[in-house]
Amino acid sequence: MTNTTRREFLLRAGISAAAANFAMSLPSLAHGLVSTPPKRKQRLVFVFSPNGVIPKHFWPEQTGEDFDFKRILKPLEPFRDQVMTLKGINNRIKGDGDGHMRGIGCLLTGIELFPGDVQGGSDTPAGWSMGISVDQFLKNKFQADPTTRTRFGSLEFGVMVPDRADTWTRMSYAGPNQPIAPIDDPYQMFDKLYGQTKNRELLASVLDELGDDFKRIEKMVSGDDAKLLKEHLAMVRKVEKELQAEQEIRKQKKDVGHAVPQLAPNVEEVNDNIPQITKMQVELLVNSLAADFARTATFQITNSVGQPRMRWLGIEKGHHTLSHEPDSKEDAYEKLIQINTWYCEQIAHLAKRLSETPEPGGEGSLLDNTTIVWTNELGKGNSHTRDNIPFVCVGGGLGWKTGQAIDFKKVNHNRLLMNFCESMGHPVDSYGNPDFCGGGALTGLT
Amino acid sequence: MRISTMQVVVIACLAFHTNDLVAEDLTDVMKRGQAVYSESCASCHGEQGEGVPDAYEAPLIGDSTVGELTKYIGETMPEGEPEVCAGKDANAVARYIHYQFYSEAARVRNRPPKIRLARLTAPQLQNSLADLYVRHVNVMWGDNSRGISAEYFDGAKWSRKNRKIERVDQTIDFDFGNEGPGEEINPKDFAIFWRGGLFAETTGRYEIVVRSTCSFICNFGGFDREFINNRVQSGDKTEFRKSINLIGGRVYPIKIDFYQRKRKTEQPPAKVSLSWVPPKGVEEIVPARNLIPASVPATFALQTKLPPDDRSYGFDRGIAIDTQWDASTTTAAIEFAQFATDEAWPWYNKRNRKKPNENRARLRQFLTETIATAFRGPLSDELKTLYVDKQVDATEDDAEAIKRSLLAALKSPRFLYPALDSDRSKSQRAANRLALTLFDGLPSDDYLRKLVQKDKLETEDQIRAAAWRLVSDFRVRGKMRGMLHEWLHMRHIDEITKDEKLFPGFSREIVVDLRKSLEAFLDEIVWSEKSDYRELFKADWTMTTSRLQEYYGDNWKPVEDEGATLRRSVADTELRYGIVTHPFLLSGLSYHDTTSPIHRGVFLIRYMLGRTLRPPNAAFTPFSADLHPSLTTRERVELQTSPENCQGCHVKINGLGFTLENFDSVGRYREKERNKLINAAGRYTTLQDESVQFSNARDLAEFLATSNDSHRAFVARMFQHFVKQPPAAYGADRLDRLVEDFRNSNFNMKALLVEIAVVAAMGNSETKVADKN
Repeated sequence: MTNTTRREFLLRAGISAAAANFAMSLPSLAHGLVSTPPKRKQRLVFVFSPNGVIPKHFWPEQTGEDFDFKRILKPLEPFRDQVMTLKGINNRIKGDGDGHMRGIGCLLTGIELFPGDVQGGSDTPAGWSMGISVDQFLKNKFQADPTTRTRFGSLEFGVMVPDRADTWTRMSYAGPNQPIAPIDDPYQMFDKLYGQTKNRELLASVLDELGDDFKRIEKMVSGDDAKLLKEHLAMVRKVEKELQAEQEIRKQKKDVGHAVPQLAPNVEEVNDNIPQITKMQVELLVNSLAADFARTATFQITNSVGQPRMRWLGIEKGHHTLSHEPDSKEDAYEKLIQINTWYCEQIAHLAKRLSETPEPGGEGSLLDNTTIVWTNELGKGNSHTRDNIPFVCVGGGLGWKTGQAIDFKKVNHNRLLMNFCESMGHPVDSYGNPDFCGGGALTGLT
Repeated sequence: MRISTMQVVVIACLAFHTNDLVAEDLTDVMKRGQAVYSESCASCHGEQGEGVPDAYEAPLIGDSTVGELTKYIGETMPEGEPEVCAGKDANAVARYIHYQFYSEAARVRNRPPKIRLARLTAPQLQNSLADLYVRHVNVMWGDNSRGISAEYFDGAKWSRKNRKIERVDQTIDFDFGNEGPGEEINPKDFAIFWRGGLFAETTGRYEIVVRSTCSFICNFGGFDREFINNRVQSGDKTEFRKSINLIGGRVYPIKIDFYQRKRKTEQPPAKVSLSWVPPKGVEEIVPARNLIPASVPATFALQTKLPPDDRSYGFDRGIAIDTQWDASTTTAAIEFAQFATDEAWPWYNKRNRKKPNENRARLRQFLTETIATAFRGPLSDELKTLYVDKQVDATEDDAEAIKRSLLAALKSPRFLYPALDSDRSKSQRAANRLALTLFDGLPSDDYLRKLVQKDKLETEDQIRAAAWRLVSDFRVRGKMRGMLHEWLHMRHIDEITKDEKLFPGFSREIVVDLRKSLEAFLDEIVWSEKSDYRELFKADWTMTTSRLQEYYGDNWKPVEDEGATLRRSVADTELRYGIVTHPFLLSGLSYHDTTSPIHRGVFLIRYMLGRTLRPPNAAFTPFSADLHPSLTTRERVELQTSPENCQGCHVKINGLGFTLENFDSVGRYREKERNKLINAAGRYTTLQDESVQFSNARDLAEFLATSNDSHRAFVARMFQHFVKQPPAAYGADRLDRLVEDFRNSNFNMKALLVEIAVVAAMGNSETKVADKN
């Protein structure tokens, strides 16, 4: 059992977060609870980038273990043994909604969208998805089991997701008609993850500075009134001492599960800061996995039909606009390769950070126990096809046989969603719309 | 039995006074009283009535009159041998102890109450933070228009040309079907934008419910603050609920943008409504009386839960210090800092964008202004260095700087103890007290700040003028609502349930309507021009709903056939006397099957007449009606409380409670109980030792409207609730003077509040808060 699960135990036992931090430093509680040998932690992170890819420069030509890295996937080459590309997987969900809407809304849910009033560029209008997404399904399973329960269960990260809730901006669903908004502001995510700890740190520091003023205030009153104020200030000092003790303990515990990451200050949420925001979010994601805050996560870079302008690559036009250009337009074609390569670099960076981080209380690195699934709402931008949806897995969370490229040649993506459940320890008979689950979970992955 | 005319008989129990005084000089009586007391009483009660361990430990204090004491001493004291002290001796002892230590006046004289330093109570903290936010947005002043502004557009976009309807909707509750909302509006493609304020009357948890078959976005708390986002109409999802804590007396901006979007597929018929579940209420369409069709500034409502305050003095006071409270002030400060970072600071920064910003000067200025408001006066250089500059210098991150600085300020006693302002200007101190007294908050709105800047709150007249201006503020209404709840002891009437067989149809909805009826009735009178306290007992009308009319009958018919759900009823001069006959109180002070003259009597004596009662000798289970089938409720109560050691209090309690026996357990009028005619006769002995007799509820109501005891109780309650100090802390005769003022104003409750605020704002020369910083 790890530090964090002990912490959870303390929380459930009714001890406050602060006191839990404190109590954990005591040997009796820290070592007294181990009863069963620890199970390997398994984690699953879905990373989304939009508008399809350039298949020719994405998919390996050679399948099997001797697969090759094309331009876009090149940044992942250092992780060759832990990479797995899954071609031939098609999102065949029909019904209301345009290709982009169904592309993102059915991607992890495997089920149709409700009829609704959001009209895309083509097809019929639609609403939200009719079902739960696989990350949330697994979260619920994990949270229901005390041995896999974590503080949050799942975390939903985003980068520059437009501030409007619609079918194009939501990938994760807690259930039918229950889209989950990703948190794309790193400061907001930091607050969710470390807010309390950070606030106590601030309080300790602030109270320390106020000491002199408190003395002045004490002199402002006399008699019974002074008694009340003295009582108050004595209590504040006591709280201050407790806080200081707590900070000391935190300083001594330098292991990764307890580190609070430092974020660069005042980074505005604007297009040109996408690279920096992405890095900040990666740090928070890695830290929260190390601290075992969650076992599943989504990381949504922009949105379906996303329009980032990658000026840092010298590209002024928005990604979605470019993605509509025909293949014959060389300039646009080249830019789309560069854009997708940039996304891949982010995946590689995440993989690198996970690989550098030892698994707390376990074997190997975080990457050995985490699978990143990089995916997309379309196979290819200008055709809007949802055949050959990009699924690139990195890492050992699912326990699959990595270091190979597979081409399934036209299978429904619902079956792959079943594999995620199965490999995370919660097999299902179908996922999403059962009509698309014929043949069951895919074979050849493990 | 019909109500007879009032019969108040002053009985000559003053005999002791007059006769004795002729024969004996007052000082001689007192001397004799002292001698007898020392001889026969002090060994058990102590020389100064302080009590004696293992004998009679409780101090001899109370509010029985000399007459009542004389009777009691004569008949029961000393214990076991009452003959030792009887007749003139008993009277002499009664006079002596009454004057020396027993009476309230004696206690005030012996140990004059002082204005005590106190920290902010929970409502004061909530309101002070709301007002701190007001500093950057200003406040919503009283506004008498009701409803919500609406603009109807052909198509989804705002444009003058496409705006086809502009009006105030009383409520939001529409079914446009497939026809659309009006002429020239395409029923397949239109938008409606509602804007206004939602007035929360009481503090507590509200659930906001929007039902819509189309997409909409509802912002709440600020026109830009997203609350419910249903930008996507999806499937059959048409109900959206969200809960939030609101502070009574505040107006919250609300905005709903509603869209019937054109589409290729079939559209659902357009339907939309705005409902809520207010605290202790049931779900209803938000009524027009709680909607204000105006542009409302953003509002801050603290969501942090605060522990309850000390009530050992009979009113909330901030005198308990513990870690739970301390922790809640931290959470509250952080919650506020978040709003400051997200909203107040960006606004401020934008408004001042032309000012230089070297070394983050704007942020420093923003924090300086905010903290000066929190500290109720300008910051000295020293304090600015500590609370602002040091915190800003500690971090490059603006959000963290704001958090640090506000955490320091809002945890400081300079904010938490409002009376620590002796170093402020006279006008500033007066403004601080006006804000704290009238609405539990800070003088942060433009009006009060300007008066302070110009030093226009120095004289009593200036303060009174300001108090009159503030008294119509929504925030004061919120606090007044709380006071009336206290006065009517309503917080103890939570759930009223009745025997279904005896009272079929007395549903939860009826109870909720009764509560609303009573509250609206109180509001109507308090906020009317005359604001006449006596009307509370004399009004022959009430506020009614169709449900109440159906249950209570014809005298609950509304005056006008059409109108708001809650509106004025017809008059009933025979059977209705304001709150005395209001079924919410009558049913709340009853058992589920029978009335409870004891509950009603205790309520009347403690709350309406402001008298004290000792707690009962033990917990008693009331005699069961089934075991005494031949007795009326009155007879059963008389039987159970007949023992001598019960009568000391029950002679007072029963005498008042019985007068309401014409009103059954749900507050309906009755002439008979168990086939016997109701006997509603009762009596009461005033603080002046006058015995008053009542033949029924009407006599009681008349008495409560005119009695000095009830006036005094009302004034004291009002003072304590608003000032949170005992009136005697502002002078031994303060209460008497305020009662006198109240009478001279024709019992104008608003004028009373103004006078109370003036007293609080002027302070008391006896108070001392050392003058040094």
